[in-house]
Amino acid sequence: MVKRDANLLVLCALIVVLLGLGGAVSGGTYLSMFNLQSMATQVPEIGLLAIGVMLAMCAGSGGIDLSGIANANMAGVASGIFALSLFDAYQSPMLFTVTFAVGCMIVGLMGGILNGIIIARFGITPILGTLGTQMLFTGLAVVLSDGRSVTIGAPDPLYALGNGLIFGVPTSFLIFILIGIVLALVLRFTPYGLRLMLTGANPKAAIYSGFPSGRIITTTYAISGLLAGIAGVIIAARNVNVKWDYGTSYLLVAILIAVMAGVRPEGGYGRVVNVVLSAVVLQLLSSLLNFIGLSNFVRDLAWGALLLCFLAVARFDLINQVMVFRPSRRIPHATK
Amino acid sequence: MKNARHVLNTGLKVALVTTVMGVAGQAAWAQDGKTITTVVKISGIPWFDRMETGVDLYAQEHPEMNISQVGPATADSAQQLQIIQDLIAKGTDALAVVPMDPTILEGLLKRAMDRGTIVVTHEADNQVNTMADVEAFDNAEYGAALNARLAECMGQEGKWTTFVGSLGSRTHMQWVGAGEENASQYPGMELVDANNESFDDANGTYEKAKEVLRKHPDIKGFQTSAGNDVLGVGRAIEEAGLTGKVCLVGTGLPNPSAAYLDSGAITAIGFWDPQKAGMAMNEVARILLDGGEITDGMDLGVEGYNAVSVRQGAGEGKLVVGNGMVIVDKDTYKERLF
Repeated sequence: MVKRDANLLVLCALIVVLLGLGGAVSGGTYLSMFNLQSMATQVPEIGLLAIGVMLAMCAGSGGIDLSGIANANMAGVASGIFALSLFDAYQSPMLFTVTFAVGCMIVGLMGGILNGIIIARFGITPILGTLGTQMLFTGLAVVLSDGRSVTIGAPDPLYALGNGLIFGVPTSFLIFILIGIVLALVLRFTPYGLRLMLTGANPKAAIYSGFPSGRIITTTYAISGLLAGIAGVIIAARNVNVKWDYGTSYLLVAILIAVMAGVRPEGGYGRVVNVVLSAVVLQLLSSLLNFIGLSNFVRDLAWGALLLCFLAVARFDLINQVMVFRPSRRIPHATK
Repeated sequence: MKNARHVLNTGLKVALVTTVMGVAGQAAWAQDGKTITTVVKISGIPWFDRMETGVDLYAQEHPEMNISQVGPATADSAQQLQIIQDLIAKGTDALAVVPMDPTILEGLLKRAMDRGTIVVTHEADNQVNTMADVEAFDNAEYGAALNARLAECMGQEGKWTTFVGSLGSRTHMQWVGAGEENASQYPGMELVDANNESFDDANGTYEKAKEVLRKHPDIKGFQTSAGNDVLGVGRAIEEAGLTGKVCLVGTGLPNPSAAYLDSGAITAIGFWDPQKAGMAMNEVARILLDGGEITDGMDLGVEGYNAVSVRQGAGEGKLVVGNGMVIVDKDTYKERLF
């Protein structure tokens, strides 16, 4: 009955190997508290976008969200301009931070709902629909900011959000993990989670079963947008400034993380815990390569090789073959 | 059987990769001296390849230190940010950064300096969180120098026009502004249709230059700003059969411009040598690492930076301005071919 999650095992093993390797080649610096914290602060923004991509993929029918980073930037820019027009970041830091963060989430959520409506109501293919909204969001951010970066500033609460530590763990990383846990529970235990996976696994059957497919898909893209909005808050908190063209490379990296996590691109299967671990693996790997001082082109190569390895693991079911495990039924199921 | 072989194969490959990484890592940690790492906007393009030759040269001159250059593979400020963050965590003593986007790096560079990392920047005179920003030249002086060369070619009279990358490009506007000011001392020079936007696109510039040539058949000179402008305008001049009759002076790089310089369609190109800028940045970083100070008139030991002018920067740091401008023509460009 129990089928081992090959991706989970490989990801865990990779984390151990990369940490060990990093410690060995750097003489321990890689494992220093400071570097671990530094790496952890880098994970959330891309990790949140990757979870968004995962949710879109799970929804099936070629689901994908290409608008993530554009949405995050738009949220940061729009909410930043709005909050700055209301409050002075340093006079009333708490009020400013809350307004900005909530604003980001609202803008992100609205962007996500727009994606959902375009895909669910108008039946546009997700890759085209979200490509369109990606350009729309980027364009809006450019227009709102005149193409310049918007200085959010570093009021204490916001600074703490992006760079602070709680019991030695970066706040932004804790937020990321918390969001991961909540989403994992939602997918595992709520009717919405089950319906999402079933809709993704077989859209036709879902419709005949009377699932409100449109609402499920819209909700899914809305959550993805909300995550992008939260990523926007974290980006602003880390960098002091937000700009429309930040993180253009994140688009493909987020998809890479999702695929490495074993999310099925055809829909119906994906685990949040894998996406979190996958984001961590990618971070460990790129930081390791930066530590060694290898060219960044090597990093692209390593990422590509890693992706191919994971595809092979999934395709040939390597882990289960190695473990000589009896094959079990392939059922779409939502798990943590 | 097949599976066993598979596992063995995989095991071998993992072992191999591990060894290679291990060896590379050992090499990187072999030296014990201070580390200065130059982080460029993007690696693998001619401009920053040229800068790397300077960084390598500086590394040879200072074998006691670990000096190297890195940069993201894609032009994305987020990627540059990650590299810098990892370098700080690694314990790099000094960073020499050419920011992709100065504003995005502000937060991180501030945290780096708080932690005791030396931060030097280049091409970012608006960077607040830096100890010293090294600029190759004074923008006004550069614009005036380009225009002086143009005026010389035009015989100080006739119609002339200017091209900028975009009206929002601060440095380009400074260059043509200084050019106009320089030209105002020659009553014979008449500026027409100034500040054409090129968007650094050689084809677009070519079309625009053709329009200008049609509208003003008697035009004598072009002063351009973005790197590809000389190529577009040069092509328009050459195709109109005006080579040698119309003067063209602008910012450009020797290698791409070589053919037009040889034919005479481009009179002269101006630029700064990223090789020298890379060396100057590293020298400033070294001086700061040793606890020294950058003072006005100081000699950084790099051509074009023999008597730098030091001013107050955008933040608490200093703005270090060299005299690194290079203007070359047909006869001299081969000395600096890159």
